[in-house]
Amino acid sequence: MATTTTRSRRTDRLLAAATVLAAGAAAVLALLVAPPDAVQGQPQRLMYVHVPAAWLAYLSFAAVLVASVAHLVTRDLRWDRRARAAAELGVGMTALAIALGSIWGRPVWGAWWVWDPRLVTTVVLLLVYLGHLSVRGLGDDPATGARRAAAVGVIGFVNVPVVHFSVVWWRTLHQPASVLSPDPAPMDPRMATALGVAVLAFTLAGVLVVRRRLRVLAAAGPAEPAPAPLPSPVTGPLVVTPRIRP
Amino acid sequence: MTEPVPVVAQAVAVLRREVAVERAGREALVTTAPYVAAFVVLAGLAFGPSPQQLAPVAGGTTWLAVLGATVPLARAVAAAEVAEDSWDLLRGLAAPGALFTGKLLAAWAALALTWALATGLVVLLFEAPVPPQALYGGALGTLALAALTTGFGVLVAAGTRRRGLLAALVLPAGLPALLAGTQLATPGVPVLPWAVLMTLYAATVLAAVWAVFPVLLEE
Repeated sequence: MATTTTRSRRTDRLLAAATVLAAGAAAVLALLVAPPDAVQGQPQRLMYVHVPAAWLAYLSFAAVLVASVAHLVTRDLRWDRRARAAAELGVGMTALAIALGSIWGRPVWGAWWVWDPRLVTTVVLLLVYLGHLSVRGLGDDPATGARRAAAVGVIGFVNVPVVHFSVVWWRTLHQPASVLSPDPAPMDPRMATALGVAVLAFTLAGVLVVRRRLRVLAAAGPAEPAPAPLPSPVTGPLVVTPRIRP
Repeated sequence: MTEPVPVVAQAVAVLRREVAVERAGREALVTTAPYVAAFVVLAGLAFGPSPQQLAPVAGGTTWLAVLGATVPLARAVAAAEVAEDSWDLLRGLAAPGALFTGKLLAAWAALALTWALATGLVVLLFEAPVPPQALYGGALGTLALAALTTGFGVLVAAGTRRRGLLAALVLPAGLPALLAGTQLATPGVPVLPWAVLMTLYAATVLAAVWAVFPVLLEE
């Protein structure tokens, strides 16, 4: 047990160091190496935090789906904690992406908020996962709450592709996907490198945050073992042996 | 020894029970019909009132009314059984698939009637035409919303707190039906992409709720 904790702490330290390195490299590349956008100018540099935040939100919600399915199959509360930690990270990153997009939109579009399909669907996605996090409070039993949350985690993921493809389906103010697209837009290699390193930094930070959150959740409520399978039905004749008391 | 009742027969029995409950109390009709009428009239005042302003928002008004109706309908999914303490008995007697199918069909009928009423009022009051593809959107969109209504209705019915969470769960999850349904009800909009989105959404929601429904029935 102590060895596992020590190994886990060492992994965390390595992850933290890698995150700091990647974040530092991303900051240098985004602020000093990558050129400003020809049309948008300096505000475009917000892309190096806005896009990674959105990416990490997608990744978190995919993790919620996987962990929810795993919990429904195994009934192991460790999967529920993973789903919960990932959902919390996803909600935070979605809120961050919306806030950063709003700050970016002010100088570029001339407004903090526009009724753009990508913006609206992203806010709706945030509401879906806020609902997912709130479902545990419907009752008192943690195991029941975990099952309900897992069910909502599976159903809620339906909206994620809608958010991603909204910029393809509508003519929107929001630019189409630059990377996760079958026909990616051409990008200056220095911009692409800065964006890639920023995505890596966010992903490493996300993994670190989830690992630490999992430890807190595990300390708050110990893992329950997966329920034992139901006994197989009696196949042979039922024999009752009388016990005669002397 | 009695023969086990087939799942289809169980589903039909659950549906007949739903119809009987509705005929006895008129709960869904009384809940949704006045709401839809009020919603369309108020939307006409809010978005209009000139016909030139109302025609472009006709499809959206219909689907917003239908989506809004899912909340009170979801609240009624297991309300009768919970009120008469027969919910545990029903869960014990009917297989989860049969219970889901019976409740789903009842919710679908209620939502389809809600959609038809909203569409009729919009045609009448907004002077907006209904393109043929709107019927496809109406059928599939209400089916998908009925699945959500059934799933979330059972989920919240078993809870002891935070019943108001229902709106926060159902309304955002119904977004694709609102989007695709509105586009399919708007003349001049390309049909295929929105029909594909509605079909995929309905299939995905049905499959997802079907898969998790037995879990929602557990205590």
